[in-house]
Amino acid sequence: MKRNHFLQGMALALCAVAAPAAFAQTYPSKPIRLVVPFPAAGATDLFARTLSQKMGEKLGTTIVIDNKPGAGGAIGSDLAAKAPADGYTLLLATTSTHSIGPAINPRLPYDTVRDFTPIAHVGDAPSIMLVPNTSPAKTVREWIDFAKKNPGKLNYASSGNGTIVQLTAELFKSQAGVFVTHIPYKGTALAIPDLISGKVDVLFDSLPTGMPHVRDGRLRALGVTSLKRSALAPDLPAIADTLPGFESNTWFGLYGPKGLPPELVARVNTAANQALADPDVRDKLSRLGIEPTTSTPSQLATMVAQDAAKWKKIITDRKITGD
Amino acid sequence: MKIKSQKDFFAGLMFAIVGTAFAWGSTTYNVGSGARMGPGYFPMMLGIVLALLGLVVIFTALTIETESGDPIGRIAWKPLGFIIGANLIFGVLLGGVVSWGLPAMGLIAAIYALVLIAGLAGEQYSFKASLILATILAVGSYLAFVVALKLQFQVWPTFISG
Amino acid sequence: MDLITNLSIGFNAAFTLQNLIYCFVGCLLGTLIGVLPGIGPVATIAMLLPATYALPPVAALIMLAGIYYGSQYGGSTTAILVNLPGESSSVVTVIDGHQMAKQGRAGPALAAAGLGSFFAGCFGTLILAAFAPPLTELAFKFGPAEYFSLMILGLIGAVVLASGSLLKAISMIVLGLLIGLVGTDVNSGVARFSFDIPELTDGIGFIVIAMGVFGYGEIIANLSRPEEERQVFTAKVEGLWPTRDDFKHMLPAVLRGTALGSSLGILPGGGALLSAFAAYTLEKKMKLKPGEIAFGKGNIRGVAGPEAANNAGAQTSFIPLLTLGIPPNPVMALMVGAMTIHNIQPGPQVMTSNPELFWGLIASMWIGNAMLIVLNLPLIGIWIKLLSIPYRWLFPAIVLFCAIGVYSTNNNVFDIWMVAIFGVVGYTFIKLGCEPAPLLLGLILGPMMEENLRRALLLSRGDWSVFVTRPISLGLLVAAVLLLVIVLLPSVKSKREEAFVED
Repeated sequence: MKRNHFLQGMALALCAVAAPAAFAQTYPSKPIRLVVPFPAAGATDLFARTLSQKMGEKLGTTIVIDNKPGAGGAIGSDLAAKAPADGYTLLLATTSTHSIGPAINPRLPYDTVRDFTPIAHVGDAPSIMLVPNTSPAKTVREWIDFAKKNPGKLNYASSGNGTIVQLTAELFKSQAGVFVTHIPYKGTALAIPDLISGKVDVLFDSLPTGMPHVRDGRLRALGVTSLKRSALAPDLPAIADTLPGFESNTWFGLYGPKGLPPELVARVNTAANQALADPDVRDKLSRLGIEPTTSTPSQLATMVAQDAAKWKKIITDRKITGD
Repeated sequence: MKIKSQKDFFAGLMFAIVGTAFAWGSTTYNVGSGARMGPGYFPMMLGIVLALLGLVVIFTALTIETESGDPIGRIAWKPLGFIIGANLIFGVLLGGVVSWGLPAMGLIAAIYALVLIAGLAGEQYSFKASLILATILAVGSYLAFVVALKLQFQVWPTFISG
Repeated sequence: MDLITNLSIGFNAAFTLQNLIYCFVGCLLGTLIGVLPGIGPVATIAMLLPATYALPPVAALIMLAGIYYGSQYGGSTTAILVNLPGESSSVVTVIDGHQMAKQGRAGPALAAAGLGSFFAGCFGTLILAAFAPPLTELAFKFGPAEYFSLMILGLIGAVVLASGSLLKAISMIVLGLLIGLVGTDVNSGVARFSFDIPELTDGIGFIVIAMGVFGYGEIIANLSRPEEERQVFTAKVEGLWPTRDDFKHMLPAVLRGTALGSSLGILPGGGALLSAFAAYTLEKKMKLKPGEIAFGKGNIRGVAGPEAANNAGAQTSFIPLLTLGIPPNPVMALMVGAMTIHNIQPGPQVMTSNPELFWGLIASMWIGNAMLIVLNLPLIGIWIKLLSIPYRWLFPAIVLFCAIGVYSTNNNVFDIWMVAIFGVVGYTFIKLGCEPAPLLLGLILGPMMEENLRRALLLSRGDWSVFVTRPISLGLLVAAVLLLVIVLLPSVKSKREEAFVED
């Protein structure tokens, strides 16, 4: 009797000691929830679904996408921040949630630095500068001259106040020194007809939305917003060629709640990088207008900090808030 | 001043109060002018319109004759309470309440609670019948929503399935 | 001409066994989702999206399209049987459809909805096939000023939705407009009336209000009436099929609805929503033939017309999608996502570069509609049986489905609380004799109206004359004024008649 109890006790003690180490070994032992703070079928969601299939294989479990849209990504991000740090809830964050969000929304329910553990920088998506085919400008330089000749008469479209679409345009305005009126829409898809018919004069939008119309000639693309030419649109010059240093990029990053153990971070980071190297994934992502990247967790943190600082400056300089 | 139509009187009152509330609330936002409307302009205009409409409805309630006085009638507190209560319990059990430390109990538990409580809203209540109905609905919902439509629900309590 | 060749390419593509199976699965799934209140096609399509990656593009799109139509058909079923509009397009069907069900005429109502939808679907598909490119040009003529004037026209028509007090109906519309303004303002980014609750920054969803007001409100009101007075399907179910008279009345309504829906659906950004409301308005304003039931009390035209309109609108709303890549609603946005993943950029070149896809999709729309009629008509008998379940078993099920349905849209418990609140609100409305349908229309139109108004003024730099100097906008506003006169005329006339009689 006593011997049995003793053995049982030893076994339990061993388990207790081994558990933390074993935990890392046994992770993941059930499906992982990847929170996507945007609606289904948007760019972020499609990216998440493409990435998660491969990533799940690498990790040996299924990754389930949990769409929690709302408040520009704040609702989903908040949920992920407050989840337990056991590696079973991850977040696909973007520029909107972690760079622009804190600067534009003083009442954000989370702190982007303190409440999260960065895991991996997984992708970048540049924007392109779109003008109607009736526009007199065929290059960025020509457009800037056109705008300078018509101060206050031109309009730019955006998907709303405080979105990357608007901020890119504001950055452009400030670097180029032009005055263009902001016309917000509920999403860039609805701005496209007005752009085509010339009611608005320019729109900085993502590649997949804009390129089909460029291909059949209704719109003209003048340049990309990445610092150098992008492999996703090799014929387009970078706007930075005309406006040195001009860069606007939508980044995508994987985060976990704060306090995620480093071993788990490393595992997820590796799995993500491996998934992003897969040619099938890369092919699908390029159609979404996203360039995969690989990184270490600290690289994500640094990049985001710099990005957030840049946008914060634009937001305060141009006083972008409520009307 | 006799209230000729009780329904209209209180309806008008509701409109007037809600309209005023919206109009007042709109002032916290930048109203702007007709040419440059701020976020508060449209709601304020509409709020004022609603308040005015409400006043007109009250006026008609006091002056236009109706056959029976359009009584509102008894308020059905029992069905109201139980139906709404069933809904609230469903939400509490399905999602859990973080601030009370109540973990999510899951879909199945929530369905049982909802059906049992909602059943109390009717006149004839049979615990056994409600239980059977709840079971049927729970099984049906599981099959339809979780299996067929693959919706992500917390089916069992969190301490069981995580 | 090319049309025949193209259609034959399409039918060839769509008629493979595999694609037919996918079409069927999609339709079945869609019907299931449509019938269950609250759960919409958006959530399901999103779930199934990854599963479709492995499928060839044509099959994937056919299945997704099937889900979309299926949900429209299914949504009408719930609207008629249980008074629950699952989609904005079913709100109008609720009004007369449910009344018909209460009088034992659920069968004819369901048949009217199904047949009207089918006819409109076929017609809409033809329009899509034949006129897609020229119709897109029309869409470009519509700018914010035109949209605003169209909404004004729609709002005036909304007044007609009410069968009771005109004054209270107008108030409900304004109330709906106001509730629709809760949330983030597009033009300034300010979150209005959100009380710092993050979930409210995106506004109060249509489903939430519909479930609460129509669903819970009605149940509470029903339970408060003594059992004998309860108006729940107590009338004997008279027959499953519309009568000859019904058909006579239905046909013109369906034709009118189809015409309206086809035209409105082309406008990107919500034209299709208005089609059901517009059709109802039109039907109500046409003279009642002798022997017809009044509108609001179960007139079959009030079901057939709007159903035809919204199905025609659903079809033609593919036009801006396929030709411009502009999705007219969230479901279509998902389709764009699906196409992108399959390396198809939706846009005019789809027609030339992937003809089997484009025409195959169009052909499958027709096939889908046909399948749905085949699916739904026999189901009518089953639904009727369901109605005979004692109410005390039925209503907890409805309460449950409303709660689940609403939860499934965002997986957020907050929505469940909102339904509870609107349940109380809905009961209040019933008690105070205020009709909810005009409020829902105001809810949908309000934000769009304001957005377009402000945008038009921004573009014109504050110049109000833009609404009357642009020809289409002027035309719409004139039509609105005319409609207003028509709407008010009978009430003025009947008061005058009363005056005469009393003299």
